[in-house]
Amino acid sequence: MEISGVTFRQESTELAGPKIIIEYDVNDPNLSGTSPAYVFVRYSRDSGKTWRLVPMDCLQGNGFDIVERPGHKQIIGWGTEQTSFADVNQVKVRVRGVAMARVPAGKFFMKSLPGGGRDDSKEITPEPDLGLFYMARCETTVSMYAEYLNEVGGGAGWNPRMANIDRCGIVQNDDHTYSVEAGRGEYPITYVSWYDATNFLQWCGLRLPTEAEWEKALRGGIHLDGDETKKKPNPKPERRYPWGDESPNEGGVFRCNYDGEEDGLAYTAPVGSFSKFASPYGVCDLAGNVAEWTLDWYSTSYHAGLDGFRMVRGGSWMAVPAACDAITGATQLPLKESSIMGFRGVRGPRPLH
Amino acid sequence: MRPLNRREFMKGSIGAAVTFAAFSQTAVRGANEKVIVGVMGLGGRGTQLAEKFAQRSDVEIAYLCDADTRRFARAREAVEEAQNKRVKLVQDFRKILDDGSVDVVINATPDHWHGLGTIMACQAGKDVYVEKPMAHNIWEGGKMIEAARKYKRVVQVGMQSRSAPYTKKAKEYIESGKMGDIHVVRVFNMMQHPKQKEVADQPVPEGFDYDMWCGPAPKLPYNPSRRWLNQWEYSCGPIPGDAVHQLDLARYLLNDIPCPKAVSHAGGVCSLKDRRETPDTQLALFDYGELTLMLEAALWTPYMKKTSADIRDSDRFPNWPFSSTKVEILGTEGFMYFGRHGGGWQAYDAQGELVRSEYGRQADKEHQDNFIECIRTRKKANADVEVGYQTVLLCHMANISYRVGNQRLEFDPQTQTFTNCDQANKYLKREYRAPWIVPETV
Repeated sequence: MEISGVTFRQESTELAGPKIIIEYDVNDPNLSGTSPAYVFVRYSRDSGKTWRLVPMDCLQGNGFDIVERPGHKQIIGWGTEQTSFADVNQVKVRVRGVAMARVPAGKFFMKSLPGGGRDDSKEITPEPDLGLFYMARCETTVSMYAEYLNEVGGGAGWNPRMANIDRCGIVQNDDHTYSVEAGRGEYPITYVSWYDATNFLQWCGLRLPTEAEWEKALRGGIHLDGDETKKKPNPKPERRYPWGDESPNEGGVFRCNYDGEEDGLAYTAPVGSFSKFASPYGVCDLAGNVAEWTLDWYSTSYHAGLDGFRMVRGGSWMAVPAACDAITGATQLPLKESSIMGFRGVRGPRPLH
Repeated sequence: MRPLNRREFMKGSIGAAVTFAAFSQTAVRGANEKVIVGVMGLGGRGTQLAEKFAQRSDVEIAYLCDADTRRFARAREAVEEAQNKRVKLVQDFRKILDDGSVDVVINATPDHWHGLGTIMACQAGKDVYVEKPMAHNIWEGGKMIEAARKYKRVVQVGMQSRSAPYTKKAKEYIESGKMGDIHVVRVFNMMQHPKQKEVADQPVPEGFDYDMWCGPAPKLPYNPSRRWLNQWEYSCGPIPGDAVHQLDLARYLLNDIPCPKAVSHAGGVCSLKDRRETPDTQLALFDYGELTLMLEAALWTPYMKKTSADIRDSDRFPNWPFSSTKVEILGTEGFMYFGRHGGGWQAYDAQGELVRSEYGRQADKEHQDNFIECIRTRKKANADVEVGYQTVLLCHMANISYRVGNQRLEFDPQTQTFTNCDQANKYLKREYRAPWIVPETV
């Protein structure tokens, strides 16, 4: 998501104290209501030493959170403690955007059992209903994650395996900054634990998807325009894969990055490589490439002591084609860092559990 | 001799056909050669074992096997990264048995595959690490011993707590006589399980050889839930599946006491009324004459806690009253709390004064070390197949007492049968589904 011309100024007002004004341009012509950007602002008040997320609820304007149109954007923040500055010369502002897909409110077919069917707190209903949410069109990339590492600093969130150029590609420099290996920026980040994923997403103001959200984003609702209008029925509301029911390699066409090199890929693929086979909402790589952490726990009091497994969805570049479907999940301990697991973010209501 | 082809292999009885492979097996590996391993069953535990063994410099994982190919990736990624070498992925474990270069089969399948999987591996000349509970029924456990002895195989059962140094110290303390005579041992296994949800049967997912998964058990309609853990056809039940660790510890601390004279049982499905078959409440008394071993187990006790991760490998003790996996040893002159999972132990004298404390650590590594060492020395492993049998016997005695209406059952150690209940003897052996039949002669 290309964001340019970011400016920041602070103005005093007659009665209401200082206000901050951030302006920028986003020129992506594909921005729309169904494929918006999620825009978030982070700022430093100490010349870039430490950074914080600007809380969305103190902002006004047309350029933050879900942004549906390209063009010149303005964000205004009123003089709360967090967004007014004693020394404006020390202030730095960064505006970033993540390409999202809109998943309208409505019913869909949930075919898997959340938490493997073992979590007492979740209801299994054949046609659950979810409110409106937005899901990142692509898996979180190496370059996005490297920006996060560099801003947060201190070594948190990085591990040496990320330097593996075939499977990830972030190296730690001598001064504890991070560089992306040439050509690796658009590959999905791997070797991230569940905690790494959630920390990154909190940095953005996003969260992990629930299994239900993940599955709805893959299959589409019963009505693709949502249950409010119900004008666009989903031609395949019970589909097995994002593109339909054909196997990932049926008819010699490769629809996602799964095990083996016959799809031309030994390891991960750059995100969106199979955008022709995206979900009905345009979400890419839900099948294959990297399996994705979800918010759901797998309740395993059967193996109490190992409690705290999380569910991972979507198969990977190492999975058999059948494991890249809408229902297959795997359990993983949240500290696990693996070359076949990554994640993506969601902007939506607090999930009901 | 002409090698058998696959068709002939299938036609012959499983026992006879695989015996051939035992003769073609290469000699015992030298001390510097890697032990070559195939792993059967890639669930949580199987994946964990595969990764742990792959991290060893003296082991190479050559095969990963699961009836469900959708499970391959998680284990493969972990293993290939740990050993920096590719593995072969197979759905049919007989491909591992057929490969003469494989030394060891790790069997981490569901309970109903433990017996036959182990027997066939022994017949094929492989040493075996088999997960607990070792056997799905008593008779099959006996056949596992026969197979291990006949083919001179090392069989280690995944009851790793008995390899822990702190466990050994506790045994020595009891043997020193400081606690007097031991007449009562209480084994706890108090957990909290959710009720199962009613989930409709579904078509078998692509990539999953469900027939192979069912193996010796009946092929019931496929259901994506994990309700099979509570079905007798596939499971010994969630309580024995976990309590077997503490029962084994108790037996170890009591110098591997052999089978009891009788069992009584109380309990049943008291709380989790979700149409499960296996009980959620099991109180069993194992009668050894002057010693009584008590099992107190349930699946609905939220205040009882397993030893948490931060205590397991540290110098801390569990909160004993609410420790869900403790063993209590009652002597005429002293008392001991003993904790599984590296929980350590504490001994008290006749006045109730604390007189000895030993911290513990988990012993997965020691147990695996012992297995690899025994492969080289051909000695019996710490949790040898006979040990596994004697411990799983307690689980089955309790279950059978429950299944015949909580009757007290008397057991004949010579014939390994019940002497006062014909109905109970029907549960000594399962019905095997062809071709997955454990033969009378292994």
